[in-house]
Parts: sequence; C-alpha cells; structure tokens
Amino acid sequence: MAPRDAKGKKPSSGASPEDYELLCDFLRQRTGLSFGENKRYYVERRVVDRMAAVGAGDFRDYLTLLRFQASGEELQRLVNLMTVNETYFFREKYQFDCLVNSTLDEIVRDRKPGDRIRIWSAGCSTGEEPYSIAIMLLEFWKRVDEFEIELHASDIDSRVLDAARAGLYEERSLQFLPPHLVSKYFTLEAPGRWRIMQDLRESIDFSHLNLRDPDQMGRFRDLDVIFCRNMLIYFDDLGRREAAAGFWDALAPGGFVFLGHSESMARMSSLYVPRRFPEAIVYQKGHQEGRQA
Amino acid sequence: MGLIKARKDSAGTAPPPSGDPLELLESRDPAARRRAAHQLASRPGAAAALCARLAREDDLSVREAILTALLHGHPPDAVPGLLPFLESEDAGLRNAAIETLQQMPPDLVLPHVGALLAHEDSDVRIFTVQLVAKLPHPERMARLTAVLDHEPHVNVCLAAVEGVVEAGRPEALPALDRLKARFPDDPVVAFSVDAAHRRFAQG
Repeated sequence: MAPRDAKGKKPSSGASPEDYELLCDFLRQRTGLSFGENKRYYVERRVVDRMAAVGAGDFRDYLTLLRFQASGEELQRLVNLMTVNETYFFREKYQFDCLVNSTLDEIVRDRKPGDRIRIWSAGCSTGEEPYSIAIMLLEFWKRVDEFEIELHASDIDSRVLDAARAGLYEERSLQFLPPHLVSKYFTLEAPGRWRIMQDLRESIDFSHLNLRDPDQMGRFRDLDVIFCRNMLIYFDDLGRREAAAGFWDALAPGGFVFLGHSESMARMSSLYVPRRFPEAIVYQKGHQEGRQA
Repeated sequence: MGLIKARKDSAGTAPPPSGDPLELLESRDPAARRRAAHQLASRPGAAAALCARLAREDDLSVREAILTALLHGHPPDAVPGLLPFLESEDAGLRNAAIETLQQMPPDLVLPHVGALLAHEDSDVRIFTVQLVAKLPHPERMARLTAVLDHEPHVNVCLAAVEGVVEAGRPEALPALDRLKARFPDDPVVAFSVDAAHRRFAQG
C-alpha cells in the first residue's frame, strides 16, 4: 500500500518530471493515449492506486513492470483506469440519422439483396454506440432486411467490453431513447437496471483492439462504415494520423468514417473526402483504391 | 432481421500480404505498399528506403502511410531525408513533407534550418520560413526575426511576416518596422506590416 501523509491524503507517485514524461511517452507509443502536464493529477491518481495494488516500491519499479511484464496485464489495468467511458444511447443521434437516411442508401446503390454490409464501432466503450446503431438500423432503415449486416465493436479497455457484452444499463444511459424503444429492446432486470435483448447482444462482435497496433488493425477489412467518435481527442497528432491510416486500410472503397462533432479529419489525413449530408459531415474513402497525386 | 452475427474473422477477409516489407514497398499494389510502410515504421534503418520510395510514390494513400511511418519510428533519419522535398515541384508532396517535419521533434529540425534559409532558391527559403513558423521551439521567433532583418527577397520576408502574425507575437513589431524601412517602396510590405500593427493592437 502506498504510504499516506500526516493529513491522510494520498501522496504523489513520487515521479519526477522526467519520470512522468517517460510514462506518458510509453503510454502514447503503446496505446495512442496522450497525456500532458495538464493531466498529471489525473494520471498520477490512477498510477498511485495501481502502485499500491501491485506493491510497487517506487515509480521506477512500476514503470519497469509496465514495460517488461510479458502478459501486459498491468498495462491493461492501467489503461482501463485511464480511459473515459461515459456515454449513452443515441448520443449525437444526428449521425445515426445520417447513417440510415443518407450513407447506407449510397453504400448499397450498386449492391444486390443479400450482399453484406459491415459496420464497425471503434471505441465502443460499454456498448451504447453499437447497440444504438443496431436499433437505428432495425427501426429506421427501410432496407434493413434486404442485406446481411455485420456489426463489429471494439475498445482498448477490456473491462468495458465485458459490460458491453452483458448489455446491462442504468436508466441514465437510456434517457434519450423513446420509451417504446426501451420497451421493445430492453427488459427490466432490477429497479433502474435494464438489459438489452439477447438477439442484439448476439448480433454484435465485441473485440479488444488497440488502434496503435497495426496487426490488430489488420484484422479489419472491407468495412463500409466506421464510427470513431470522441476517442481520437485523447490521441496525439501521430496517433491520430496512424488511426486515420488504419481506417483507410480497413475501409472498402467508398466507405465512410463518422467522427465526433468536435473532431475533424483535416489534421489527421488529407485522403478522405468530406461529404456534407443533410444531417452531418462524414468522411469518405474514394472509390479508387489509391488516389493519384 | 437484417443483422447477422459477425464472425471473428469476417471483417478480415483480405489476408495481409506476406514477405519482406522492403520488397513489398515496391509492390504494384498500393495496399501492399501501405502495409509495408506500416511495418517499416518499426524497423531500424528503414528511413532511407521510405524516403526513396516517397520520392517516386504517386499514390496519395501510400505517401501518407510513408510519412506517418517516418514520423513514428525514424525522426532522426527522417528529418534529413525529408528536407530535400522542400525543393519538390509537387506541391502536395512538398506540403505533406513540411507538415510532417513540423510534427517532428523541433530540436532535430532546427539545426538544418540555417542552411535552408541560405538556399539559392528563394522558393525553398519561403517554404523553410513556413516550416519554421509552426515549429514549437523557443528559437522560432529569433529565426523569423532574422529573416525580417536580413533576407534580401521580399517574398521570403512576407512569409516571415505571416509567420509572426500567425504566431501572435507582438514583440516582433520592431522587426516588422525595420522590414518596412528596408523596403520603403514596396506597398505589399507596408500593407502587411500595417495590418500586423492593427491586428496586435486589437489583441
């Protein structure tokens, strides 16, 4: 247990400015998450907790464990504490409206019934986003039954993936869902606790993924739509560039990327074409494999 | 229901190309070249091959993958490898190189700036000023001020004016006034310096 001072407050991790920079560089390289001096308190609070949990003698010991533990288990635990997972159903719904009213019809324009459509929620947190996509498709896309639709969802935080698979939500998460959709897709398990229906839970492939890992990113190919909203704001410039490049490789020609409302592809990549639909701006990969200079 | 259970492997239908990434970098398939660039990001000593490919690469997505790989794994070797692209006639490639250099550790870039600011081609000096203007380094203003005081070509000076104004550094105003005195008959210089005064006066 990390010692406490006379006032009972937790001390800092004991990290020097150089140590803190080393930790931030390491996290950035391994996960893409970017923390600066302004986040030092946020980071240290979590590091102190983990140092206590693993019995690390000092910060350098803990950093050594993070770097060299073969299983990567401690890094995963720290990452789980560092990520922000606050979300809810139908968050920024105008983008889902754009999906069902505009982009999907464009995607299937040259496809025949029975063809496959692949959608990926990158940074799915506890599952509200991919489940929202599923509900939007079933409720509001008239051609949903004509095609086979795959929904993939991933996150770097293994803990939230378990929650996503379980599909159990507080009322706060459901506050923007119309009551008739709550009744239709959820069952009340306990006061204020709702579980999403099994069919939807089973229709989404949840998987652990680090966007900074090219091998893991290489698993995703021929996707038609990627949602990556409010996640890349935690990355540095290089991490964003790499994520945008990974999405490019993962998308089928003509595929779309939805970013968060405050995010833009402009500083990440010059490859994507911004498309202004009535509901939202979405970034599209061209139909040619490689645009010529 | 149109939703089907996604299989673990179903989104990975295209197996990644295998082979030596240095060879794949010359593949006819842009996807293979991108993949090679990603792999070479973590291979020591690959900067020269990446820069050489960049020089003749005409696929924008591969260019971007190469630049990102250089930024990721090879800054010390990538900086001297990218600087020659400031002389490129291809504006897209040149600008991409400048943007990438601006994201490199500035201590690696600045040592090369002096020679580039003395380049015989004034266009290269303009691009160098644009590069310096967005380098997050304490020496940035001193470099731009030196251009304002000593650069003979007015267009290079105007690029430096733009740089100090965008940086929002009013301490450069005396140097801007000296520039106006150096080019007393140039209306564009007068206009730019006066505009800078107005902008800084407005805060």
